[in-house]
Amino acid sequence: MINISGVSKWYGDFQVLTDCSTEVAKGDVVVVCGPSGSGKSTLIKCVNGLEPFQKGTITVDGISVGDPKTDLPKLRARIGMVFQNFELFPHMTVTQNLTLAQIKVLGRSSEEALAKGLALLDRVGLKAHAGKFPGNLSGGQQQRVAIARALCMDPIAMLFDEPTSALDPEMINEVLDVMVQLAQDGMTMMVVTHEMGFARRVADRVIFMDGGCIVEDTTKEAFFGTPRSERAQLFLSKILGH
Amino acid sequence: MSGAFDFDVIARTWRYLFFDGMAFTLRLTLFAMAGGIFFGTLLAMMRLSSIKPLAWIAGTYVNTLRSIPLVLVIFWFYFLVPYIGAWVLRSDTPIHVGAFASSLLTFVMFEACYYCEIMRAGIQSIPRGQVSAGYALGLNYWQSMAQIVLPQAFRNMLPVLLTQTIVLFQDVSLVYVLSITDFVGAASKVAERDGRLVEMYSFVAVVYFIACFALSQFVRRLQARIAIVR
Repeated sequence: MINISGVSKWYGDFQVLTDCSTEVAKGDVVVVCGPSGSGKSTLIKCVNGLEPFQKGTITVDGISVGDPKTDLPKLRARIGMVFQNFELFPHMTVTQNLTLAQIKVLGRSSEEALAKGLALLDRVGLKAHAGKFPGNLSGGQQQRVAIARALCMDPIAMLFDEPTSALDPEMINEVLDVMVQLAQDGMTMMVVTHEMGFARRVADRVIFMDGGCIVEDTTKEAFFGTPRSERAQLFLSKILGH
Repeated sequence: MSGAFDFDVIARTWRYLFFDGMAFTLRLTLFAMAGGIFFGTLLAMMRLSSIKPLAWIAGTYVNTLRSIPLVLVIFWFYFLVPYIGAWVLRSDTPIHVGAFASSLLTFVMFEACYYCEIMRAGIQSIPRGQVSAGYALGLNYWQSMAQIVLPQAFRNMLPVLLTQTIVLFQDVSLVYVLSITDFVGAASKVAERDGRLVEMYSFVAVVYFIACFALSQFVRRLQARIAIVR
């Protein structure tokens, strides 16, 4: 589904990604972890072309992301993305957030978009909040709306960029529960996160990044059993130590 | 001394002052505001564009016009527009442009520079992630701007935009140099005809003060009401 091959990226002279290659098969859940500044968020943003890259290729469902001829908005509409800071549109109600792209991008009628939006809002357990503005919701609720907003587009894959990092601890689980449910329903997911509990529960594979390189790309069992690289061992001992 | 003043002159001429003078001033202010905000927003989008020539053109335009006194721009446009019009229409003689059209064009072009800088700050105040979220949903540049960035930028900047409009409302009085009958122009005509300079100019000042003070109070209240909950 998602194929990343030999991707390198520079900010000026500074190389943020070095020859990254991996793939995510249909229905797979791949967790990307690593210390901050390791390039994991940058990599996931390359997948839907939010960040340009200078070398290598990324294809999603057979369509090349870096190709200038690709209709990026059209491709992005098929890939859901959830951000660290939710990025709901604060000047719109929850319902408007859910229906905007359905109407403007997919050309659905407002009735159709509303029905879809409310159904997915119900699925993330927030039906009662349809008329509210994002600023009146808690962080966990906002992130669940953001997930529903992405799902409204009927995505073929979902990208999560540290979806729980900006949340208060007591709200992390409500978001993770939604994500676990999604994974169990068979959604193809690429998740940048430090939540190793989530990785243990639903990940098929774990990618460990450090210094812009993919250091480890292996099954969950192998990763939590005996990571081969020293850096991954050190990273795991640091975040699992408490 | 007070016997020397004759404030009756206002009672005798207020219809002319308001229905001719103030009506022109208000009309010019409102049209110039609408046009200025429209072109100012386009200029702001150009200045922030990643396409370097667009950014350069907008930047040069804004910096040039902001470095010239408004009165000069008014004169300059008034005398130049007939020739530009002739050139555009391939006519041999300078075309006739009315005082209103000429001054409206001047103010739209001039105020666009100030509105541009306000909108630029407004657009830059919107977190980069908002645009990313729009793009991630499949919106294109124009849709993201129209649906996500500009509505928020506009709302954040509304108090400043209105404050600039208050300044514009006062600046419009400069069309008086073209002998146009705006509010100040009307008052000065009466003042000179009846020899009541002190009375008329005092009256004009009071009217401007009341109007601008009321508007700025309105802006203050508006500011509190429209803030976006984040």
